[in-house]
Amino acid sequence: MTDEYTDNKIETKSADSSSGSYSPPVEKIPAQEAPDQELYHAKSFWTKWVFCQDAKVIGIQYALTATAIGMIGLILSWGMRLQLGFPETFSFLGPATYYQSVTMHGMIMVIYLLTALFLGGFGNYLIPLMVGARDMVFPYVNMVSYWMFLVAVLVLIASFFVPGGPTGAGWTLYPPQAILPGTPGSEMGIVLMLVSLSLFVIGFTMGGLNYVITILQSRTRGMTLMRMPLTIWGIFTATVLALLAFPALFVACIMMTLDNLLGTSFFMPEIFTMGEKLDYAGGSPILFQHLFWFFGHPEVYIVALPAFGIVSDLISVHARKNVFGYRMMVWAIVIIGALSFIVWAHHMYVSGMNPWFGFFFATTTLIIAVPTAIKVYNWVLTLWRGNIHLTIPMLFSLGFIVTFVNGGITGLFLGNVIIDVPLSDTYFVVAHFHMVMGIAPLMVVFGAIYHWYPLITGRHLNQTLGKIHFWVTFVGAYAIYFPMHYLGFIGVPRRYFEMYDSPYMTSGVGLNQFITVAALIVGFTQFLFLYNIFTSWYKGETSERNPWKANSLEWHTPDYPPTHGNFGKELPVVYRWPYDFSVPGSDKEYIPQDVPPSQVPTAKAEQT
Amino acid sequence: MSQFDIEKLPKGSKGFMYDWGSDQRAFKGVPWGKAMMWIFLLSDTFIFSCFLISLMTARASTVVPWPPTSDVFALTVFGVELPLLLIAIMTFVLITSSGTMAIAVKYGYEKNRKLCGWFLLATAIGGLTFVGMQAFEWSKLIFHDGVRPWSNPFGAEQFGAFFFMVTGFHGTHVSIGVIFLFIFARKVFRGDFDTGRRGYFTSMKSDYEAIEILGLYWHFVDLVWVFIFAFFYLW
Amino acid sequence: MTGDKKQVHTHKLGIYLWIWTLLFVFSFFSYMVDYLNYQGLLRWSLIVFFMLAKAGFIMAIFMHLYWERWAIVNVLLWPMTAIGVFIAIMAAESYYTFFSRMFYFVVGS
Ligand code: HEM
Ligand SMILES: [Cu+2]
Repeated sequence: MTDEYTDNKIETKSADSSSGSYSPPVEKIPAQEAPDQELYHAKSFWTKWVFCQDAKVIGIQYALTATAIGMIGLILSWGMRLQLGFPETFSFLGPATYYQSVTMHGMIMVIYLLTALFLGGFGNYLIPLMVGARDMVFPYVNMVSYWMFLVAVLVLIASFFVPGGPTGAGWTLYPPQAILPGTPGSEMGIVLMLVSLSLFVIGFTMGGLNYVITILQSRTRGMTLMRMPLTIWGIFTATVLALLAFPALFVACIMMTLDNLLGTSFFMPEIFTMGEKLDYAGGSPILFQHLFWFFGHPEVYIVALPAFGIVSDLISVHARKNVFGYRMMVWAIVIIGALSFIVWAHHMYVSGMNPWFGFFFATTTLIIAVPTAIKVYNWVLTLWRGNIHLTIPMLFSLGFIVTFVNGGITGLFLGNVIIDVPLSDTYFVVAHFHMVMGIAPLMVVFGAIYHWYPLITGRHLNQTLGKIHFWVTFVGAYAIYFPMHYLGFIGVPRRYFEMYDSPYMTSGVGLNQFITVAALIVGFTQFLFLYNIFTSWYKGETSERNPWKANSLEWHTPDYPPTHGNFGKELPVVYRWPYDFSVPGSDKEYIPQDVPPSQVPTAKAEQT
Repeated sequence: MSQFDIEKLPKGSKGFMYDWGSDQRAFKGVPWGKAMMWIFLLSDTFIFSCFLISLMTARASTVVPWPPTSDVFALTVFGVELPLLLIAIMTFVLITSSGTMAIAVKYGYEKNRKLCGWFLLATAIGGLTFVGMQAFEWSKLIFHDGVRPWSNPFGAEQFGAFFFMVTGFHGTHVSIGVIFLFIFARKVFRGDFDTGRRGYFTSMKSDYEAIEILGLYWHFVDLVWVFIFAFFYLW
Repeated sequence: MTGDKKQVHTHKLGIYLWIWTLLFVFSFFSYMVDYLNYQGLLRWSLIVFFMLAKAGFIMAIFMHLYWERWAIVNVLLWPMTAIGVFIAIMAAESYYTFFSRMFYFVVGS
């Protein structure tokens, strides 16, 4: 697998395309603007591995914690699926527990798994390495960020054990029901959930400021924004979105906590419970929905944008071709990010909001589809006539494209008010968001782990297990979610514990059983993947330096795997973008970012 | 290798294109800590905006009359009822402290240790006075007027809820600022920024730009108060 | 970081004192809006005007934004458009909420 690259030099068919006016670039090393960063050097075991300030270790801490809590989310989904598929056989999950499982599953997967993994995990590990920095700009704050995240996770776990159990309000936590008796976990569960979210936001802010400032202010010489790998662009934009969107969630959490504990009526209208009038009056539940989705929609892109970025790099490296339309890709990421702040109420078409909003939000929503579609075309065009290596990262990337297109198209359905009205709160929605923000980003996570695992550990993951992992996950995901579209069309509502003998379920019963079996198999395969990760750490085939022949800086550190301080004595100088693969005229198949033009005089490389 | 000189860079909109197109730093000449504080303040602005937008929503949609703020917050001095008197004084104090902070930053950059320290201390005391008056205002409202987060005798329930939440959140910001002001006043007087003494937690050196960063935070707190004053009290 | 090349803002004391005074004056004016009991559009526009003027001076002079390069100034101000949209939408929403409350609860009952 390693030497298949070296023989595979693409013949340059299109020497004519860059004919004529080509002149080799002038070599110019910019002046260094600031002295080298001073790092904290750990002396004891504790400061080296536990309270560690090295972004690489922090990234791994984030990733492991996120994975651990993600496993809980996965197991919860098994419980739900068993209940839905075989309600008679498996009756351990009463209605209340079902709701609690749905809620915790959703929240864990979106926030504590994907957000933390992409930004905290990949962000920490890759940002300093890819932009050519020694570490994050404020390693100490970065460390505190992780520990806040851990506390948030622990509070979340604690909510499983308090009286009344965790909240069962759905991951959207809509008031008034979230804090009223009758909803499971309305005693302590909801409070701990809100506290945990607030802690998460605080912790994330510390980390997020670090990521943004490291990218903006701590790049190495020659690393312009337009020479950054798209991975960094995706993580950067997502972090900016998070810094501006989490405040709305934070505020909503505070206000709901006060409604719950102090009896204020921010979100609570006048309410009668069991014939008794409660003390609430005059609040607006719809205000919560606006605050929640002002956060919630950008959150979708907080998960999606890093995936977009990473997958572009994976495709480029494993197809040995430059990213098609790099600048277009960057602008698409930025535009999607900006637009994601003005589409939020497409989640509220049936909420009873101002009816005129449908026009506005449907329009903005459909506009967002344009840059998104551009990205899809560019991925496909990057693959076009590329030297595609069907490595595991490439397989997952291809899986991502297909899945994302699927989820994107159902998104176009749901973005239109008249189509959304019958479909909202059905399994069609469940299918949509799992495709687009569940499976698609997870495909990228897996691909990225197979891609960067050698960098982190110096070893490869087991390829056979990897192939099994990919095919079962990919085919299995379709087995799970494709039928859900149909269930949605025939009207099966979302968040229902059981369908009993409802007329909807004549054709649905068999499907539901099928989905459940598929879900169990797919879930099991993820444990196989974890097994692979842990055993390969010690036993995996050792990887030589830069096994994928990538150009970006993280593979070109003096030590492999990179050590504290990343770049040894002197920081690298960057002369090109990271996509100089198969450059016409060059005698090298790929040109790393830190190779000066004088070393590749014949290469007709893209000017960046 | 040529030397980097910020004064030679293009300015204005050309500078904008230059900076974003350049390597190393998008914000030329802005130290990491200051850039970080600015972005944090941007995020914090979104928090306060969400609070104030919620306030707007509550006020604009209430069917119960909103309490007349200028009467609720009136003080009777020498038999004359002055609307919003305490709030006006609080505003005065906070703006004053913002002024002293700006001057402390100026002396910090001039490495005038003594004056910088004294102005920091003055700022801290201003902040403390503000928090004290806020405590007075809260207790007057709670014990004298019977305003509670869940009810009040004047009108819409949300009045008390928003009052305590918004001013409380702002007051927390002020209090945190005061703590840091005292800490940094001590650091300045001790000469940490001249001797390069290392921080207790981070074990990193810092210099007088830390004062500017603290100043940004403090001015921001003042800025937020401007909006609260307008939207909550005057509106 | 130490020894960093940075912009240093040392300005004359006078400018700070000037702005300081201006802030007092504006605060006094906005207080007078209430004291003189102006109502309606006049009150609304005066309050907003004084508020923005004060905010502008604090940001521009005290926070030195006036002397910063455009790169950072733009980054700080553009995101406010998202807040602007949020305000506009929520204003429309709250009028609608008010309307439906009047319609169903007050008039209708
Ligand atoms: C094997 C993988 C998974 C299975 C079998 C699964 C299954 C389910 C089921 C059965 C529901 C409840 C639907 C309902 O009753 O309304 C659900 C909800 C949800 N899932 Fe998943 N899921 C999986 C992975 C993920 C992932 C990776 C994400 C991350 C984005 C995710 C996000 C959500 C969300 C946001 C909800 C909505 C929760 C709510 O209604 O409050 N899921 N999932
Ligand atoms: Cu959305």
